[in-house]
Amino acid sequence: MAGKGGATPATYSPSPTTNRKKKPPIFKEDWVRPDGRGFHQCRPAFFRTGAVNAASGSAYAEFGNTKVIVSVFGPRESKKAMMYSDIGRLNCNVSFTTFATPIRGQGSDHKEYCAMLHKALEGAIILETFPKTTVDVFALVLESSGSDLPVVISCASLALADAGIMMYDIVASVSVSCFNKNLVIDPILEEEIGQDGSLMITCMPSRYEITQLTVTGEWSTTKINEGMQLCLDACAKLAKIMRSCLKEVASDSQE
Amino acid sequence: MVGLSLGETHFIQGGIAQDLRCDGRKRLTYRPISVETGVIPQTNGSARVRMGATDVIASVKAELGKPSLLQPDKGKVSIYIDCSSTAEPAFEGRGGDELAAELSNALQHCLLGGKSGEGAGIDLSSLIVVEGKICWDLYIDGLVVSSDGNLLDALGAAIKAALSNTGIPRVEVAAGTSNDEHPEVDVSDEEFLQFDTSRVPVIVTLTKVGRHYIVDATSEEESQMSSGVSISVNRQGHICGITKRGGVGLDPSIILDMISVAKHVSEQLINKLDSEIASAEADEES
Repeated sequence: MAGKGGATPATYSPSPTTNRKKKPPIFKEDWVRPDGRGFHQCRPAFFRTGAVNAASGSAYAEFGNTKVIVSVFGPRESKKAMMYSDIGRLNCNVSFTTFATPIRGQGSDHKEYCAMLHKALEGAIILETFPKTTVDVFALVLESSGSDLPVVISCASLALADAGIMMYDIVASVSVSCFNKNLVIDPILEEEIGQDGSLMITCMPSRYEITQLTVTGEWSTTKINEGMQLCLDACAKLAKIMRSCLKEVASDSQE
Repeated sequence: MVGLSLGETHFIQGGIAQDLRCDGRKRLTYRPISVETGVIPQTNGSARVRMGATDVIASVKAELGKPSLLQPDKGKVSIYIDCSSTAEPAFEGRGGDELAAELSNALQHCLLGGKSGEGAGIDLSSLIVVEGKICWDLYIDGLVVSSDGNLLDALGAAIKAALSNTGIPRVEVAAGTSNDEHPEVDVSDEEFLQFDTSRVPVIVTLTKVGRHYIVDATSEEESQMSSGVSISVNRQGHICGITKRGGVGLDPSIILDMISVAKHVSEQLINKLDSEIASAEADEES
């Protein structure tokens, strides 16, 4: 194929019928979310630690229909021959079961989730407490129904706490979807597919620090402000639920 | 890269605190940027961008393919990054894969918009030939030739320049074909159409060192960073993507401050880049 030629300065638009079948807009004036929630209402969250016996720490999380299980192994010796490091190392792996998505096997192409999970947790773990060793975090998405990565991150931080890894604070994560001019928190899969933009925040609520922030789509600054505030409030509430889950386990073991 | 001594570390941090970096720049100043377009004739569009000692090449290849089921009225764009071991010995073998994947995902976040296609730098609807059957697939490949920090901004600029350089052949659909068959298409060898790249954003990476942020960090400055934020801003001043880098947490007010600083810096960067691209295209035609 040849490079640029002819110098015709026109925008490419070969299909004149493109605009005829415009997608019906998801948002309408009296629109209600498919599961009946308000715009700024999260799905019910369920957490449980100790889901895997063989792991140092583990946790199971459900947000509506999104189900995630996370195992933590370590601190232990690295299998790979890596350079000496006087701080600990964190390895993260996120995978989907073949039956996690509506179409079988479709969820295996989320390679960026590993890096994003790593960055989200890295800022919260006190790596200096286990030099020369490695902590491995394995996350498995059992069912994918929207907002998978925030659920994985929250569940992973609970699993790390269950493993006794020292952390500055619990890590909570929430995402927001943008439709035209409206913000919808904790979107489900149907909402995610048609979103104009998304904003995901991972934060340590007690320290009021953001460890991971990802924005896609086109946003104005005021909208980003609004979305960030919405997410930070939701993260604070989510952290309370996570802490009560940990306290529950601690009080059970005391009895 | 080679580690820095404690004295070098303090020198860099002290310099940034006093708004004087090792190469004499201020905190919010870019290194000299040069742009060449049309560097690879076999591609539909290509560009080479140098930002100081950072050197990247971006190319665009267009192929006819089938639209995705979720968006039958839109074409597809993919972004791949290759970190060549010529750029840095650490990229040998699979050493560069992690960085390449990170750069690729950040660029997709910043340039391709939301899942509905809104906010993308390119109008994806203009890539449709036959709705639901044939569309243009754009493959954007970035190659890191030399690495001295700030790869993401350089790659973003190179992709913008490559898209400006891109020419896509005109496609005629044979008339009279019945609707359920695969349409016959005739790809022109002489007529080419160009993108409107006025909405393609630029990426500004702010790196936090100590209590200040700098743009266009070199490798040495990047090794001193506690965290950073890459912000994609378009000509209208809208944020098209944000990716946080580095592990340390950031206060939300600092992030909002970084966003406003990035918008300010991006105005100059967009103007400079557009003039560089225009002169590069003019050079290529002559």
